[in-house]
Amino acid sequence: MIQLTINGQPVEVETGSTILDAVRKAGFNVPTLCYHPKLVSYGSCRLCLVEVEGARTLQPSCVVPAGNNMVVHTDTDKTKSARKFILSMIFSERNHFCMYCQDTDGDCDLQQAAYDEGMTHWPITPAYKPFMVDASHPDFILDNNRCILCRRCVRACTELVGNATLGFEERGSGSILIADNNVPLGESTCISCGNCVQFCPTGALIDRRSAYQGRETDLTHVNSVCMDCSLGCERVVKTRDNRLVRIDGNLDSGFNESLLCSDGRYKPVAENRKRVTTPMVRRNGQLEPISWDEALSAISVQFKAHDSSEISAHISPRQPVEALSAFHEFFADHFHAGQVALLGHDQTAIACAKLAAEIGAFESGISALKDCDIAIVLGTDMVKDHQVAGFFMKRQAMHDLKMFIANSTRTTVGDWSSNKLDYVGTDYTAVVDVLRSFAKGETANMTEKLQHLGLKPVRAEKVLGQLHESQKPVIVLGKEIARAENYAAFRDIVLLAREIGAKVVALKGKGNNFGAALLGYEMDAQAKSAPVFFLALGDGHACDHTRDALAGSEFKIVQASYASEFTEMADIVLPCTIWDEQVGHYLTSEGKLGLNQQAIQAAEGNKSVPEVLKVLAGKSGLTLSETWRTAVEEKVAAIVLS
Amino acid sequence: MTKPKVASDWLAGCAGCHMSFLDMDERIIELTKLVDLRATPITDLKEPDKSGVDVGILEGGISNTYNEEVAIKMRERCKILVALGDCAVFGGVPAMRNFAGADAALKRAYIETESTDDSGMIPNDPELSTPIHVRPVSDVVKVDVFLPGCAPSADAIFYVLSELAQGRMPKVEGEFNNWH
Repeated sequence: MIQLTINGQPVEVETGSTILDAVRKAGFNVPTLCYHPKLVSYGSCRLCLVEVEGARTLQPSCVVPAGNNMVVHTDTDKTKSARKFILSMIFSERNHFCMYCQDTDGDCDLQQAAYDEGMTHWPITPAYKPFMVDASHPDFILDNNRCILCRRCVRACTELVGNATLGFEERGSGSILIADNNVPLGESTCISCGNCVQFCPTGALIDRRSAYQGRETDLTHVNSVCMDCSLGCERVVKTRDNRLVRIDGNLDSGFNESLLCSDGRYKPVAENRKRVTTPMVRRNGQLEPISWDEALSAISVQFKAHDSSEISAHISPRQPVEALSAFHEFFADHFHAGQVALLGHDQTAIACAKLAAEIGAFESGISALKDCDIAIVLGTDMVKDHQVAGFFMKRQAMHDLKMFIANSTRTTVGDWSSNKLDYVGTDYTAVVDVLRSFAKGETANMTEKLQHLGLKPVRAEKVLGQLHESQKPVIVLGKEIARAENYAAFRDIVLLAREIGAKVVALKGKGNNFGAALLGYEMDAQAKSAPVFFLALGDGHACDHTRDALAGSEFKIVQASYASEFTEMADIVLPCTIWDEQVGHYLTSEGKLGLNQQAIQAAEGNKSVPEVLKVLAGKSGLTLSETWRTAVEEKVAAIVLS
Repeated sequence: MTKPKVASDWLAGCAGCHMSFLDMDERIIELTKLVDLRATPITDLKEPDKSGVDVGILEGGISNTYNEEVAIKMRERCKILVALGDCAVFGGVPAMRNFAGADAALKRAYIETESTDDSGMIPNDPELSTPIHVRPVSDVVKVDVFLPGCAPSADAIFYVLSELAQGRMPKVEGEFNNWH
């Protein structure tokens, strides 16, 4: 611990803390611009200068370590005049006119800093030098004229996302923010995650959809969970007048550290499919509006007219646990329907549940990915699926993390690392065999095994040679190795992990896949046509095989939020609430039960899946229980190590 | 005690700050009890008294030689000069022109507009003032009170004027210091 004095007040901080940490701990504040708690401090803006007794000059508190017996002053005439001078210089460099900026009135850190210093004008007239504006990206605009060169975006892009698209060209006050080697952002290696926009303290990175839609304080903020993949990133949904304006990552989230991927951040806001607004029935080949009561009665008649085995029921993993539970209870437990399945074909959650039943809990939380000394990634492309988990990998790859990646298609997740070994193929049995040999240090006769997989022995030795001595190995498992035909390899690698003390992280498909697996769902990869086909699509999508099965069915019921080829062929269409219009639970890939809060009010006429099932159950004289929680929590405990 | 004299004028602005001044509604009556409103763009008298006023108020930035003259005259004739609004304080919206230059702006406005035919020409009568690099008022004359805002609220304007009327220098801070 280090003891120092801030503005006359003694304070104790941990070794390695900065003066800024100590200042804030002592209850004082110094303004900052380039500093961000999630990023490595950079000390470029100089706004956090403080006076340290004995030091020759003012010290940037965000980068100078707190030292024992230091005496620090934050609010002296010297620091105040330095801050004002720094702000005056920043305002003079580029176009920082607030009145025509989209980021204003409390949203802009630069403006706020000026207010805090009591500035009412700019002592230095701006230079009026025009800088490059890049409007080539569909989601955001890069306006160098508003840039203060703090490089928070660059650091977020590199340190947190591991993408390193953004960088700077030129020097000094002529520096410009560019993508790659100065190519238009829209044609660059940018993955459109938008984290740079969230980290920008001024209006230099402009979110196209929320620009000029109101200040942060005009928007209603709802903390909720992203439903796109099973990671369950914590996000803040921002609305105004019941309209979705913007989605940001939750800065307080220890899990996703404020990060979101493009799907989580932009998909819901960019949604432009046409909503289904009223229940419809097919009469003379045409869909016609009917009342909810008529629609649900017509469905009930069909259920009663058919043998239970003639009913096929399919639901989207984008539905909350409440809906999945009610759906399974209604169709599987009460009706014994011929097929009750979850849309999609990612078997990972099912494989995990099956294996855990056999060998006990084996999984670790996603945080294992953030701190490892070797990563073995089997059967998943973390650049495409579970992108935020991919960020955790990519940013470590930049520090030459040892990585072995096996996937049927080449993935770039490890490309920053010079200690990377790629296997492109599907022979997971052979892969696990090779890993076992390395893990046990039995590397005699390896050449043949490696050549079989097309791996270069020297490189394999470099990456996996010390696997048996590795301190923090992590094994990531995904959809390919979790397929039924690879179950033996899946089982073997988990057992091997247990033997060598490697942490296992299984990435479990889309949305609520894990929750569905625990409730007993099978995947609808073998979806079959049936006399009655109930498709609870919600706001999700379904695959071709589901479409074909639906097309071949006699009586088609589709509950969906959006008009699609599925609603087009339905006999009865029921409008459905979307994810942000409903309250519901969500089980993340690492087994955490999260509650999604409703961010927007659904238009009248929409019903959630549980609401529909409740009425249908009533018509069949049934009551649905709501007791899924204990069962789900118990099952999670049996799979994920606490 | 005689009431302090107040005069105002507008330069390269949109008149919005003066509209915001009027927005103080019935408080104007209260204010006229405290001050003697002299020349303003919205009263009959158009030039500040030669004998001088106590408070001069300027809205808008300096965008041409005429603005310069007006600003210099106001400075000469007032004791305390208030820069009213973002254009007077920073240069404001007219200053956007500086990024392209006055020549390019004139060309765009008088020759290249979609509704202009081949006869378009930039006005060049010697009576006209010359467009210059747009600057805040403080770049031309000394300003004593900066009241930013686009436009500053009626409350902020009332506060500044009533403080000045009562012989105090206003402190523009908190909600009154709003750059928008």
